[in-house]
Amino acid sequence: MAFFLTYAWLIPALPLLGCALITFTPLRRSKLASGWTAIALMLCATVLAVGLLAATAQGLALRDGQVVPLAAAAGHGEATAPATGEGHGEATTPATGEGHGEAAPAEGHGTFAFPEPNVVQRFAWAPIGESVFAMGVYIDTPVAAMLAMVTITATCIHLFSLGYMAANPRQSRFFSFISLFTAAMLLMTMADNLLLFFMAWEVMGLCSYLLIGFLFERPQAYRAAVKAFITTRIGDVLMLLGLVYLYTQAGSLAFGTGAGEIFNPELLKRLGSESGFFGVSHATGIGLLLFAGTVGKSAQFPLHVWLPDAMEGPTPVSALIHAATMVSAGVFLIARTFPILQADNGTTLAAVTLIGAFTALFAATIAVAQYDIKRILAYSTLSQLGFMVAAIGLGGWVAGMFHLLTHAFFKALLFLGSGSIIHGMEATPQMKALHHQDEYAAQQTAQDIRNMGGLRTRMPWTFWTYTLGYLALAGIVPFAGFWSKDEILAHAFVGANWVVFGVLTLAAFLTAFYMTRQWRLVFFGEFRGGQPVVFQNPEPAPRTAHHSHADHHTHHDDHHDTHGHDDHHSNTGPNWQEHPSMIAALVVLASFAVTAGFFNLPFAIPGGHWLSSLWRQEAAPLNFIVAGVSLLVALGGIAAGWSLYGGAFAGAHDTDPLNRQAPALFRLLNEKYRIDELYAASFGRLTAILALAWAWMDHAILDGVVNSIGRLTLFIGQLNFIVDDTLLNDGPDALASGTLATGKRTRRLQTGKAQDYLSYVFGGAVILALVYLYVLK
Amino acid sequence: MTQAIPLEAVLVLAAALFCIGLFGALSRRNMVGVLMGVELMLNAVNINMVAIGRYLEPYPYVAGQTFTIFIITVAAAEAAVGLAMIIAIYRTWLTSNVDSVDSLKG
Repeated sequence: MAFFLTYAWLIPALPLLGCALITFTPLRRSKLASGWTAIALMLCATVLAVGLLAATAQGLALRDGQVVPLAAAAGHGEATAPATGEGHGEATTPATGEGHGEAAPAEGHGTFAFPEPNVVQRFAWAPIGESVFAMGVYIDTPVAAMLAMVTITATCIHLFSLGYMAANPRQSRFFSFISLFTAAMLLMTMADNLLLFFMAWEVMGLCSYLLIGFLFERPQAYRAAVKAFITTRIGDVLMLLGLVYLYTQAGSLAFGTGAGEIFNPELLKRLGSESGFFGVSHATGIGLLLFAGTVGKSAQFPLHVWLPDAMEGPTPVSALIHAATMVSAGVFLIARTFPILQADNGTTLAAVTLIGAFTALFAATIAVAQYDIKRILAYSTLSQLGFMVAAIGLGGWVAGMFHLLTHAFFKALLFLGSGSIIHGMEATPQMKALHHQDEYAAQQTAQDIRNMGGLRTRMPWTFWTYTLGYLALAGIVPFAGFWSKDEILAHAFVGANWVVFGVLTLAAFLTAFYMTRQWRLVFFGEFRGGQPVVFQNPEPAPRTAHHSHADHHTHHDDHHDTHGHDDHHSNTGPNWQEHPSMIAALVVLASFAVTAGFFNLPFAIPGGHWLSSLWRQEAAPLNFIVAGVSLLVALGGIAAGWSLYGGAFAGAHDTDPLNRQAPALFRLLNEKYRIDELYAASFGRLTAILALAWAWMDHAILDGVVNSIGRLTLFIGQLNFIVDDTLLNDGPDALASGTLATGKRTRRLQTGKAQDYLSYVFGGAVILALVYLYVLK
Repeated sequence: MTQAIPLEAVLVLAAALFCIGLFGALSRRNMVGVLMGVELMLNAVNINMVAIGRYLEPYPYVAGQTFTIFIITVAAAEAAVGLAMIIAIYRTWLTSNVDSVDSLKG
């Protein structure tokens, strides 16, 4: 156990090592070797993370290199706090606040305290004036739980990628990127201060950019990558401002409750009471700026536009980054800085709740009218992230974090399932034929749920695992999503936030509805891929590097063609094969989608409230009204979806039943409330106008200034040349040649003969004598 | 003490001896001859020293003679060094002609 605590830093280091190995060694030339290297290192990291979680769950902590039980550690920390002094070196015990030791378990409503950290290892990073900026790891029980979740999902997704990306010529590069991403996510989770947190956060942003644009031959992909990067940048810049603001106020960015750390009670009290800019308190300013980072990263309402477009990346990327881990980093940020958000008595948290609840409903409505299987899941992700953000805004810290953990498992499962489906769809003869004409259109067509149907029998593994994920997301007891979503709703209910409760309940209903719609259209009915709705690609990509990709498919499908299958057969033909590595990943994630909810059962039984007690937080009581409402709503959504889509879509070109009943509304939802167009018309247009203005200024003014300076310099240069050539050159030249001539002449005196020298000496003496006798007299 | 021989006569003798020595040092082609010329010049100086010491210095007239004894000693050493160098030069270039030893020519 001591090993897991002491070497916790290995958890992010191993995937980073994987990235370095794949990038810098000849391993990169072998797809399989790079893939298995990444997977093996991820497995090691997973073992370490699970071991760490087990160690922290036993209440073990690392103090001065010794493993001690946490209760004793708190006392020990207090005893040695004066001795160890200010945070220097590694593994110093953060000075615990007054009477904090016994205040760790649940207190009265409204106060929040993190559990005692299990591991704090810091090293001096940058001396700033008199203080030293320390970096390191800070692990408490929520961090350990996050680490376990991230490593498990990331390992599954690495495994899945091995099968899914097998046809891609740049598979090694892919593994390198996702390993780097995982390392950054793990580092962010265990960072001991907000600056390190922010650094890892930005590395994740970079990886997200690289991976969305992974298929960079497609204009849509690189445009989506740039869009994601720029949109999240808006949030990140505001977050950085928040960090600077916090640093100016607190003089530190280190997590912890001790003196000089950001959760220090006196500091929080001061931040909450003193007012800063615009008459709001410091805590509100800092909290809102930090929350802006969340809005960008977790794709909450005004900055949500990048996440659906990010589905241009390969599906494992969507699963890893845009469902399970990176987008939940935003939620993790507000969970991590919760005491600061809370310090201003509710103003910030109200804004957080508002944005979260709005996004939950807003995204759920859009998801109802989408056809792209991945986009539906993307909007579902937005909506679920809204749930988490709202939960934290309501003060339901455990509920938000719990939903974060469970959602990661079942949403990664759903994305990987959709990847498996798309993989199967792309291998059908129609898609293959389309693939030879336009690869992007083929992929978009393969992702269209109107073109699916009846996949239940063709892809049984995918069907069953997907169903488990679907039930978890819809919130059916006893799957993971039910417990966590129920806890969030219970918080709104108990807090009597009826508007939030209503909005979230409606969102939960829509979640069940759109997931049923998708599930029904994908897996049941007749296969409609025979006459697909073909995606009309407005800008076909130039066909270059992806030929090998296409060739692979051709080779793969020769087998299929010789057997003379047509598209209406119902048995599982060779083109519906599910790759073993993909099945393995799906099964592991499905098991977590079923069981993850049991980690925090709201019953007073052994093992109940496990996460709450692990995190030393107040256990949410079971509210049967809320549980009943939540379950009824979920069942209602499923029933509505099933009845509405039961007979719909006999063929791919049929009209959606919702579209038939409310065409205007459906169109609005299908076009995502035209937010993208609004942004293009407002910010995009504004940027274009500004760019034109700058371009004019550049050409007319700056170029003129620069050019005239250039001309002036040229003129001065020519003038200088004339002066130099005529006046200055001749003097030194004459001096040099004169010296040379003198030297030539005088060297004749140097005969080498001693008698000559003697005669010179004598001649000199005579001259001196004559001068002495006749001149000086 | 009678002024038997005037100082000027001795100085003229010394000047003549110096000129002879100088002429020898400058004109002889044999190194040993040059060395002999140098010895003559030294001895002319010695005569000057002794004469001026005897005629112009106060009693007991020893300063000039003391210098002279030193100069004779040093001249002996100088002659020994000079002869050794001449032998070394002769062994190297197989000549004792000063004109043929001009390797320091510029």
